[in-house]
Amino acid sequence: MSDIAIQVEGVGKRFRLRNAGGRTLKSMVMDWIRTPGGDRDLWALKDVNFTVARGTTLGLIGANGAGKSTLLALLAGTMMPSEGRIMTSGVISSLLELGAGFHPDLTGRENVFLAGAIMGLTREQMNRRFDAILEFADIGRFIDQPVKHYSSGMYVRLGFAVAVEVDPEILLVDEVLAVGDASFQRKCLRRMAEFREQKKTMLIISHDLNTIQSVSDRILFLDHGRVLGEGEPGKVIGQYESFSRSQAGGERRREWGTREVVLSGTEFFDDRGEATTKFAWDQPLNVRIRYDVNTPVGPSTFGFGISDEEGRLVHGSNTEIEKVAIPALSGPGSVVLRIPRLNLARGTYFFSFSVHSADHKVNYHRLDNAFAIGVESEKKFEGICYLPSEWTVG
Amino acid sequence: MVEFVKDIVARRDLLSMLVVRNIKIRYKESALGFLWTLLGPVFLIAIYAVFMKIIMKFPMPMTVLVSGIFVWQYLAMCLGDSSFAIIGNANLVKKACFPRVLLPFSIVLANFVNFLLSLLVMVVYLLFNGPCFGGIAWLPLAMLAHLALCTGVSLALCALNVFFRDVQHLTGIFTMAWFFLTPVVYDISMIAPITAHHPVLGQLYFLNPMAGILALYRAALLGSPLPDASLVALSVGVAAVVCAVGVMVFQKLQTRFADEL
Repeated sequence: MSDIAIQVEGVGKRFRLRNAGGRTLKSMVMDWIRTPGGDRDLWALKDVNFTVARGTTLGLIGANGAGKSTLLALLAGTMMPSEGRIMTSGVISSLLELGAGFHPDLTGRENVFLAGAIMGLTREQMNRRFDAILEFADIGRFIDQPVKHYSSGMYVRLGFAVAVEVDPEILLVDEVLAVGDASFQRKCLRRMAEFREQKKTMLIISHDLNTIQSVSDRILFLDHGRVLGEGEPGKVIGQYESFSRSQAGGERRREWGTREVVLSGTEFFDDRGEATTKFAWDQPLNVRIRYDVNTPVGPSTFGFGISDEEGRLVHGSNTEIEKVAIPALSGPGSVVLRIPRLNLARGTYFFSFSVHSADHKVNYHRLDNAFAIGVESEKKFEGICYLPSEWTVG
Repeated sequence: MVEFVKDIVARRDLLSMLVVRNIKIRYKESALGFLWTLLGPVFLIAIYAVFMKIIMKFPMPMTVLVSGIFVWQYLAMCLGDSSFAIIGNANLVKKACFPRVLLPFSIVLANFVNFLLSLLVMVVYLLFNGPCFGGIAWLPLAMLAHLALCTGVSLALCALNVFFRDVQHLTGIFTMAWFFLTPVVYDISMIAPITAHHPVLGQLYFLNPMAGILALYRAALLGSPLPDASLVALSVGVAAVVCAVGVMVFQKLQTRFADEL
């Protein structure tokens, strides 16, 4: 047995783009009449090279559409690469989707045996594993009910149980840890830790950077089908975070208003006055917001909001709430917002700023999710916000 | 073709489970279950019997009609189901790796199991209607050619339907045309006067593999005289070619299934 479990050489995957209606005879005829153009091709992956040593775990990170799932599909063998070579050695089990192929009308038991057969196990091999699967899935007598009557939790538990009990040499996991409740997620993570101890090879996709950093030996960072980074988890994740900050804003960014007053610029800086967009979780953040006035207006209000990467509003406030009076605005100027201590978990956050009339009737200018900052944190607390807390004994 | 046989032999466990799954699902939660395999043809027979024998006064023995409909039913079921063999299992095709050919082939086999059971019922019926199983030796050849034809057509249809959903709509019309080109509700002897004058028409007629296959079944079960051996051989040969072409088309297209779904 070689020491390399997976070897990927110069792999590319091309998709044909076409209209939403799928291919019909009509679109075929149209394609045939039109001169073929390369502009309708999309390279979901291009020039991808890497190897995974046996017994190690590789984490795949990247924004949505980076090609992570396509890469796993190529490794699982459900898709063929358009160019390049993929070599794998060992039985592969893929968790591309939990319970993929379960038929709603069949019972849990029937589906388990069918899933086992799909992965290439014989009936006897499945018989030997069945009790372990049942125990891990923890669905009791529901095993003999059609899976359409299962709760979604039961469904994914059974799907995960089958995939891990098949005892593969290589396990491909696509973002499945995001499903299920907290106790099930812990169970899955424990199970994956066991896999690592047993020196199995794993490839994992996850958007949860903390999880992926803790389970991976190496990380591969993809963007638009290309490998932008590979190596030690902390380093590559840092690279990914600063990359996604530089790209950010674009997707969720929105801007509107009547434009009597326009927010013309922002500068983030620390307490020493140095411009930065990277802040420590327990340090202050300052931002100067510049504005221009097109038409003089009466008393106004400046506001801000912070959202996390999922788009959840972490905090929002304004000058009115903080009882700071902004007089009539008649010429260019600036306001400074200071947050004495961020108290946020590690990650990327987006700032929104607005200026509107004091009576909230006219929205002069609003920039949503336009500015990204990175927060670094050594302290490992749960959730996205840190609430100062004190413990005493006795 | 070699690949096809290898896949089936290597993954026979999975194939048998898929066959059982298809049979279970077909009749799940229907009160009459498997009986529908019989009731479908029985109603068809009743309709044609009333229409052709009573209204049109078409002189045709019931045994010809019964054997025609039951034999046709197997192909019709395969034609109806196969369009969805791949697109109906899109999730499985995209997320799991196994020989895709097992999906349509398991449908062909599940329908074959149904067909065998309905064949038994038909034999019992024939026993009450003056049995004449003199040509029974033709039965294995008839069934083999029938199975090969259904396999070829199903594989090609399910693969093409992934790329052109028009296939599933065309299939219904095509099935209807094929039904009347095949001596299902009439006997081959009825077209004998035409083919006697124009032998080329006879050869063209037997290019339809179902013509020869049905002639073999009727020779086996009803003791009907077999048409010219070369014509039957032509039908069986076409069935074999359809099978090989279907397998080839499927193998060629299957690498792109996951991209398209």
